[in-house]
Amino acid sequence: MKPINRRGFLRTGITGAAGIVALSPSLVSGASSEQQENIIYRTLGKTGMKVPVISFGVMRSDNPNLCKAAYDKGIKLFDTANGYQNGNNETMLGNLLKDYPRNSFYLATKVKPIGVDRDGKPSDQTTAEDFLDKFNTSLSRLKMDYVDILYVHDIRNPEMFEYKPIIDTVKKLKKDGKAKFIGFSTHANEAVVIDAAAGKNIFDVILTSYNFKQTYVNELNSAIKKANQAGIGIVAMKTLAGGGFLDKEKTRPINSTAALKWVLSNPDVTTTIPGMTDFDQLDLNVKILADITITESEKKDLLIAAAETGLYCTGCTRCLQACPKKLPVPDLMRAYMYAYGYSNPGMAYSLLGELGTNDNPCKDCNTCQVNCTKNFNIREKIADISRLVNVPSDFLV
Amino acid sequence: MRNRILVGFLLFMLSGAASAQELTLPELEGYKKTTNYPVFTPDNLWDFINGAADTYLAYGFIDLHVAEYKKGKNVIKLEVYRHSDNTMAFGIYSTERSPSFRFMNLGAQGYIAEGSINFFKGNYYVKIRTYSKSEKTLNSAQSLAGKVSDMLKGDSKMPAVLSQFPEEGRKQNEETYINESVLGHKFLNKAYKATYEIGSDIFSIFILGSSSTDEVQKTINAYLKAAGQDATDSGSGKYMLTDGYNGTIFLAWNENQIVIISGLAKDQSEIADRYTSEILK
Repeated sequence: MKPINRRGFLRTGITGAAGIVALSPSLVSGASSEQQENIIYRTLGKTGMKVPVISFGVMRSDNPNLCKAAYDKGIKLFDTANGYQNGNNETMLGNLLKDYPRNSFYLATKVKPIGVDRDGKPSDQTTAEDFLDKFNTSLSRLKMDYVDILYVHDIRNPEMFEYKPIIDTVKKLKKDGKAKFIGFSTHANEAVVIDAAAGKNIFDVILTSYNFKQTYVNELNSAIKKANQAGIGIVAMKTLAGGGFLDKEKTRPINSTAALKWVLSNPDVTTTIPGMTDFDQLDLNVKILADITITESEKKDLLIAAAETGLYCTGCTRCLQACPKKLPVPDLMRAYMYAYGYSNPGMAYSLLGELGTNDNPCKDCNTCQVNCTKNFNIREKIADISRLVNVPSDFLV
Repeated sequence: MRNRILVGFLLFMLSGAASAQELTLPELEGYKKTTNYPVFTPDNLWDFINGAADTYLAYGFIDLHVAEYKKGKNVIKLEVYRHSDNTMAFGIYSTERSPSFRFMNLGAQGYIAEGSINFFKGNYYVKIRTYSKSEKTLNSAQSLAGKVSDMLKGDSKMPAVLSQFPEEGRKQNEETYINESVLGHKFLNKAYKATYEIGSDIFSIFILGSSSTDEVQKTINAYLKAAGQDATDSGSGKYMLTDGYNGTIFLAWNENQIVIISGLAKDQSEIADRYTSEILK
């Protein structure tokens, strides 16, 4: 390689038609800013919002040009949150979208109530004032008078629907026009909260985890259908089942196109918000805007991916009801994952110590009553990991 | 048989014991410390911070220890995120930093903003927050931050590459590290970014490090090829090209670094030349 010289910059790639022809497909399409043709739109429940089947989960993107390209290609709903990048994500979007006609895009953001415990129950720290402060900060960062959808971030317990300080606040924001529509996002216990929400007349939109690997998908589908029939629009997230890879080494990517098409094969789902950080991902997803038919090859990819059980317990908690000894099965499965998934016996040992279980907690049961939704052999795994409590801790430090 | 299985199990377990990380979080006078949360790992981080988890994972997140300190109704929450190295810890810290925050001498760098104290040190990114408005509680949160900073091992310096960015026009505390897909391109990775404002011009400079000259050449060739330039012509060290998505790009490099400037117009090559020359001198 020649050393750097001081002769200044050579011009390249700015030639004219001949030069443009030579560009790669990615950069050519970017240069042309062409909108995808025959975009499939769906109506988001009773909001009446007509949105393309692919939207943009902006959370990880720090490049406004990526969002601009998405807009140019036909994506119209941008999803962010008050907490993403500590607010920098909303600021980036606000700086970009201020130059676009306000009625040419939809903006959704999320505000998380504080003081909610791990079971999703609010506390006396969960105040309307804090929620409003955060929402007003979001509006300021976004440089907007209103957002199209305001989600209460992360509802996992139907008790939240009865918690007036938050529910009354979002209702008032809708009444005041600061949020055209209100909704909530849910990442855990989704089927239960969606089912409960369908029976309330509070929310217009639900943003839910939804992917081909969820073991409780039948219950989730029923809840989604019920919500849809109640006029609630459904937006899907976490469509790649977390991370986008089948293995921890990230050598075997999930077929993202197939995963998104699987989500959209449910007509009760209006749109999805895949996260995108590069133009190649954008181009892949833009193709789905006009074609959501799953090919045989894509079906096969999903079948293979779905068959991989892995070590990760989804925390559905069904086992807690089924186990006659009321063992903390999800926690024990986590200890198993620490030991075998991460080769981290110290962490597993600590967790077992916190749980206070003995070296053979299943010994009084002849057969296991737990029917794990991930088909884990619970009894075998508990027996295996529980032996660790007899190991002197010195061996594990 | 049972013993043989146990021995085998132990051998397997001990083979991974070196990676075990135990972190005893400090006590705080007058407060009761509770650690009701599990140690979060890449598989369940989303359970704690939802969609924001993806960004942490992109910066080499390893594990997260959480503790709460309670005194009456006042609660201080401590989150200690461990990342794969110091660069990654700076990376995640910098995505959540804003120049408008009040910066303080904590770890390599830290700040206070609305009841939150965030800082990074070594491989760790630490977040402390309280929803209390009480000055005493806020002071206790600061005290906790100091204790955690003292406890954590690792370098208390900003990444050395940042000193390569020229001072003229540089917007302070807006430097970031981007681990993947710089400017939205898969072939551009691992870049420090600084933003500049000179008069009405606002532009960004990216410094991409590389382990070898070959790697530098490969990256340059990939970009030039994507822009329609014959990659075989990329032997010299400075180019201007048009990126269909990001507009005019100025590109310069030496044996182990690539400098990219985005945001300047085609007729501003003098500015680009000045800055790239200073960085790569």
